[in-house]
Amino acid sequence: MIGESFIFALLNVAFVLVISPFFMMVIKKVKARVQGRQGPHLLQGYYNLAKLFRKETLYSEYAGCISRIAPYAALSILLVAAIMVPLFWIPEQELVTANIIVFLYLLVAGRLLIALLGLDAASTFGGMGSSREMSLSAIIEPVTVVVFAALVYVTGSFSIHDIFRTATTIFPAYNPTVLLLSVPLFILIIVETGRVPVDNPETHLELTMVHEGMLLDTSGRNLALFELSHAVKQTLLMAILLNIIVPAGIALELSVGALILGGVLFLLKGTVLCVIIGLFESAYAKMRFFQIPNLFMIAFFFSILTIFIEVML
Amino acid sequence: MILNDVAPVWIRICLILVLVSGGFLLSSRSLKNLVRTYQFQSFLLVLIALGLVVLEEHTILLLVAALTVVSKVWGIPACIRLIQERIHIQQDLKFSYLRPPGALMLSILIILLVYITFAQILEKLYAASSLFFLGSVIGVSLVLMGLLAVCIRRMAISKVIGYLSMENGVLAFGLFVTELPFFIEFVIVIDLIILVLLTSIMTVGIDSSIEEYKSRLEEFHLLSEEGGIA
Repeated sequence: MIGESFIFALLNVAFVLVISPFFMMVIKKVKARVQGRQGPHLLQGYYNLAKLFRKETLYSEYAGCISRIAPYAALSILLVAAIMVPLFWIPEQELVTANIIVFLYLLVAGRLLIALLGLDAASTFGGMGSSREMSLSAIIEPVTVVVFAALVYVTGSFSIHDIFRTATTIFPAYNPTVLLLSVPLFILIIVETGRVPVDNPETHLELTMVHEGMLLDTSGRNLALFELSHAVKQTLLMAILLNIIVPAGIALELSVGALILGGVLFLLKGTVLCVIIGLFESAYAKMRFFQIPNLFMIAFFFSILTIFIEVML
Repeated sequence: MILNDVAPVWIRICLILVLVSGGFLLSSRSLKNLVRTYQFQSFLLVLIALGLVVLEEHTILLLVAALTVVSKVWGIPACIRLIQERIHIQQDLKFSYLRPPGALMLSILIILLVYITFAQILEKLYAASSLFFLGSVIGVSLVLMGLLAVCIRRMAISKVIGYLSMENGVLAFGLFVTELPFFIEFVIVIDLIILVLLTSIMTVGIDSSIEEYKSRLEEFHLLSEEGGIA
């Protein structure tokens, strides 16, 4: 049992690390195509990471230990979170407690580290980015908690493994509450990964940047680690949405055939979701900072509605 | 047999989408999207009516569905679109009392309040069928959310869509709880109000708010010297 859990952890983490840059590139490609451009190659994300890993890391003269620790810590935290979120296989036993609240805390810890990094280099843009990130965080966190509370209420468990296992027994088209949950979970992906209309990951305009502002003073290997953590975070959040709404194909037992099928299907589902995210980003302009709570409110509304409907039914 | 099994699930999904569309009517700023949402909401009511035909075998509901398709899915949205093309206004950014996030919060409270109230009033219905109870709660919630849209929106055309959404709520409630002749009567009354409102707005200027109405009347020389409408 423990051996199986270790195999799961290794496979899951490796799979997340391998596919995350690909998903990022799919979104970029879709956005480029919508804008009438060719867009980057789908493997460009891997080339970028390889290039950054080879480059020298420079630190600001004011940078303290946070700038040196944060890139590794942020990725480590997300890899621990990756053990909690099964992508293509749900083992019988959890290696670490896959509690959804612990998962939330891990995401917050990662966010806090990046915010500290933004402040650590003592640059104006970094501080501004951190300030914006924390302001948004203060508003989105209660909404995130309510979204996950709705998820827990519908599936009846705090364990992400159990939640996914329950989802495999529910046919989403027959369960309106599961469908309803997809909206706040989608908004959560957009908000947590800093995508349009909340933030634009492709701009370095001082007036608008949030996430990029905090990473402006990061370079080389550190930047690569942050880019990778960002991609991993996106994949994990996507996995939560996909394995609840479209759990088809997720392996429930350890066999080579089931694992390959689960992996391939997850890749396909993820690509489709990335296309949807890309189209969504292309359809909307970036929101004004003080209008962003409107989007959070929609997620909150849907989550509360999910709980209500579950109670009424 | 299969239809009888599928119909309750189908109705549930449609009811939830009706409520979602109600929330969207409160938060959307695009006039085009408002009309599309209203059209979609009306279409969902058609699907609900058809689902109820399967469950209850009341053929009169087919008539209600047909009437809804003709009037609300096709007629009224087409009419509003025609007006929109003439006034060249794409967005409704004017709100009174509450902004969309606040309105959504309030609508959550409204749904909760309706649920608690109905759990007391329609206790027997709740025990007999959770589906019909859900339908009645969502119907009345939609009426109140429509009313909220009427209150918070400042542009007249958005207020009209609020009224229309209220009427959809009455229809949803009527489908699940009340007797048919009563709800038809009620819907006709509301339809008349909407008709009057639409006609008067079309006469004077759809792009004005109710508060600006008097100045618009003066602008078009429609006020008599005594202050009444000439």
